[in-house]
Order: sequence, then structure tokens, then C-alpha cells
Amino acid sequence: MSLCRQSFLLLRRSVVQNVCFRVTETRNIKRWVSPTLKELKRRRDKIGPEPEKPRSSFLEWNYEAEIYAFGKRLGEEFDKKLLKQALIQREYANMQEFKAKEQVIVPLINFQEFPVSKETLSNTFKAVVAVLKRSKDLNRAQIFVKDFVLSQMNGKDVYELWDPQNPYEYLTTLLNEKGITEIEPRLCNQSAVNTILANFQVGLYSNRKLLGIGWGENIKIAKETAALDAIQRIYKDYVPK
Amino acid sequence: MVFTTAVNFVRSRGPDEFWRKRRIFRLAAAFYGRKRNCYSIAVRYVHRALVYATKGRKLRKMDITSLRQTRVQAACEQHNINYETFREGLTRSDIMLNRKTLADLACWEPYTFKALTDIALRRGVDDGLINITKTESLDRIITRGSLQSNK
Amino acid sequence: MSVLKRVQQWATFARIWHVYDAAWQNPFQSAELLKKYLMGMYKPIYHPSNDCGDHVIVINSAEIALPGDEWKKRVYFHHTGYPGGATWTLAWDLHSKDPTMVPAVYNSMDGNLKRRYTMERLHIFPDSNVPKDLMANVSNQIRQIRPMPKRLDHYPEQQVKEFPKVIDYPKDYVVR
Repeated sequence: MSLCRQSFLLLRRSVVQNVCFRVTETRNIKRWVSPTLKELKRRRDKIGPEPEKPRSSFLEWNYEAEIYAFGKRLGEEFDKKLLKQALIQREYANMQEFKAKEQVIVPLINFQEFPVSKETLSNTFKAVVAVLKRSKDLNRAQIFVKDFVLSQMNGKDVYELWDPQNPYEYLTTLLNEKGITEIEPRLCNQSAVNTILANFQVGLYSNRKLLGIGWGENIKIAKETAALDAIQRIYKDYVPK
Repeated sequence: MVFTTAVNFVRSRGPDEFWRKRRIFRLAAAFYGRKRNCYSIAVRYVHRALVYATKGRKLRKMDITSLRQTRVQAACEQHNINYETFREGLTRSDIMLNRKTLADLACWEPYTFKALTDIALRRGVDDGLINITKTESLDRIITRGSLQSNK
Repeated sequence: MSVLKRVQQWATFARIWHVYDAAWQNPFQSAELLKKYLMGMYKPIYHPSNDCGDHVIVINSAEIALPGDEWKKRVYFHHTGYPGGATWTLAWDLHSKDPTMVPAVYNSMDGNLKRRYTMERLHIFPDSNVPKDLMANVSNQIRQIRPMPKRLDHYPEQQVKEFPKVIDYPKDYVVR
């Protein structure tokens, strides 16, 4: 009995001690983990997603360093002043004049809108190319475009970028330049013509030679896609001089 | 502990009820009705689902194999060669392609597949596996057998 | 997706209409053949969940030929669901009641949710009178499993007479 009492007292003392020192090494189940995580998740959800911030609003933003690194990343030597000028958008410049040239923290592309629209990006890219031409020469700019634009376009479908309105007329003018005047569209195949899933196959021939072949839900579309195919085939073996 | 299979993941019971049940509920997340939300019902269906998953691992492989076979057979038929002759012809020509590759070629690269059937046909004609009269389209393909027969 | 890619997709998944002459054909063997077309299993793009099956118009279903004594021995079972609602119909009886009812194709396919939709693409006609708008869709003919021989009474009489004979019948011989 006395032993039991003694041990109880000992235990109580140790508990009190632990509370005093606030170094509780607990080896039991950590039941606080799930409620804590739940509470954190609840708060996170309540606040909602963080708005997307431009890089320039970060504390460690260094415009000069970024401009320098930008040129290095492209592997080109830019005139720094011209490059800065190129990266300033018209609206931004107007606003700056209005604000009496007040210095603010600026993103790499100095523009009001964020996230930046595709149009702005394309304009800025053109500006960068122009800067390269002025900093170096035309040849360097051409090589730059070849490396950065044309290499990415390799293997892509042309008609995703270019949507000719009247491909058949375009094809006839193309072939007329080549001296081929007679183009004969022929209906090669058709299936399920009376249903909504009708399908037609039209081939364009000239002097018994196939120029292009196309399909479509009606003959007109099939003929136009055949023309598109023919245009592609003309340029397939095209080698620039 | 790291469990590579979901079965062992379920069996390891911790003393904390929340985490123990959570494991089951995670696996029952896509179920419908009470078997998704009530533990005692969920755990039964999770166990059953895991049994199905075990069996399905084998069945899935069999299904895929048969699907590929169907596709290759379909493509063979288009080129007037039967499946067995095609595979035999390819093997004899030392073209070691499996069903998966052949099915992918049949689906995405029909012209490549046509070339393969031509080779198999040529080999079949040379080795006497098949008997066809029209071999004009196959004359451009040269195999060891055809060279010997021309001598 | 560019225009060319779109029409390529359209052509790949085009529904083809086939026509099949069932005259003098074994329906069970024909079913295995038609199943391939109905489910799209003859295309390299086939997948069970892929909607690539074609339409098949079967003509002359009244003239199908069952092998052996199947007409007499084959029994089709139907149950109305009520007690005592079971019926057993012999194949010849079923065929005389409705010549377009050919369960062979339905039975040849696995019982899954797609089977009834696949069967909707099968159009059976007892004779060769197919509506014109359906026939206009057709772009392929499926070859018969067994070539159909031309019957002697379908040849013109002149041709039969002129055909060289090995023997002449005696004058008093009765040709049945």
C-alpha cells in the first residue's frame, strides 16, 4: 500500500516538474495531429487561393540583374538601354509621364496588366528582335529568329497557324504559276450519305496524277480539304534556295 | 513504414482511430452511398474491392493482350494475310516485334504495317507457307529465300 | 485541331454501310462474320468502348439455310415472366412466323450493355426490297461465306438446251 502511494506521489511530482520545465517528451499517441491539420486546412480553404503576383512585386526583385540575365539566357549581347526601352509598354510609358516620372517597382515587361496577354507578349518579342538588330546586326537577328521561333515550329501542323479562306482558289492560282491549269476533283468514295454521319472522299487529279485527297461531311468540305492537302504536298519537297 | 501494396496498407492498424479509419475511407472515396461514408460498411466493400483488384491485375493483362490481337488480326485481314502466317513470316524474317508494337503500328502507322505484311507475305511465298498467284507487288522485296530461288 | 486533322478523325470514325446477301447461307457462320462488321472488329482502331461499329443491311433473310436437321431440332426459348409463361419455338416455326428474326447474330455477341445498341445497326430484310434511302448509304458488299450456285431452272432455256450433253435420254424416259 505504502509503495503504491509513494509511486503515485513520485508520478505527480514528475508531472508537475514537466509542466514547469515545459519539455514534455510524450511517447503516446499524438491525438492533436488530425484536429490541427483539419483546422489548418479549414483556414486555408476559407482564405481561398493566393492571387497570382508578378515577379516584380517580390522583395528581392532586381531589375538590372534580371535584364542582364535575360540577355544571357538568350545567349545574345544586347544594348542594355535599348532593351529596357523595348520592354516598356506604351500604356505604361504614358502612365509614367502622367505620374511625373515617379519611380516605381517595375516588372520585366513594364506593363499595367497582369497576367500578361498573348498580344503583349508577341509585341514584346518583336521588340526584343528589333533591339537585337540594332545592338548587333540584321544577320544576328535572323539567326536568333531561326533558333528560337522556327525550331519550335518544326513538325507542327501548318493549318493550326494558317487558316486559308478559299483553299481551292488558292490552290488553282498556285498551280497556274507552276503551269498546271487543269485540276479535276473526283468523288472517290462516299458512305452513309443519307445520315448525319455522311462521309465523302474527294481526290484532286491533274493529268491522272493525284494532287491531294480530302474527306468531309459534304462534298464541298471534302473538296476544300483535298485542296489543303494538295497545298501541303506541293510544299512537302520544297527546298529553299 | 513504406507499403508497396494497398493490401498491407490496410492491414497495418495504428492505435489512433482517426488514422486507421482514414486509410479505409481513402480507399472508399469513389464508392457510392453509405459504403463511402459509414466505416463498418465501407471496410467490407474496401476489402472486397481489394480482392477484385488482385484478380483484376491478371485479367487486365489478358484483356489487353486479346485486344491487341484483335487489332493486329483486323489489320492483317485488310492486307489479305492471316494472323498466323503473318507472325510466322515475321519470325522467319528475324523481325521480332511483339503484339503491342504490331498493334500500335497497325493503328497509328498503317503504311509501316503494310510494309511488314508485304515482308511476311514474301517470306510466306518463298517458304511455301502460302500459295498466291499474284506476286507483282512483292517482287520489290528481296529476302534470302527469293535470292536463292532466283539462282 | 486543324481542318485536316478534323476530317482525318471524321474519316477514321466514318460509319460504313455494308450489304450482305444471306441467301443459302449458314446463319451461325454468317453471324460470326457480321459481328466483326457490326462491332468494328475489322478495324485496327477497335476498342470495346470505342463507337466504331458499322451498319449492315442483310437481304434475303427468308432464304437462310440451317445446317443438318437444325430447322427441326433447334429450339428458341422465351419466357413472358408470368407463371406458365414459358414457350419453346422450333426454328422452322420461328422462321415461318418472322423471317427477319434471326437471333444468331445477337447470340454470337457477349451479353453486355453495348449489345442492344450494336444490334440496332443491323437491318434485316426478308427479300431484296430495301428502301432506297437505306440502300443509298451502302458503300461495301460483304462477300458471302459460301458462293451461291445458280440453279438449273434459273438458266435461260435456250442455254440449257445448247449445253453439250454426254447422253441423250431415251424417248420414253420420264424426267421428274
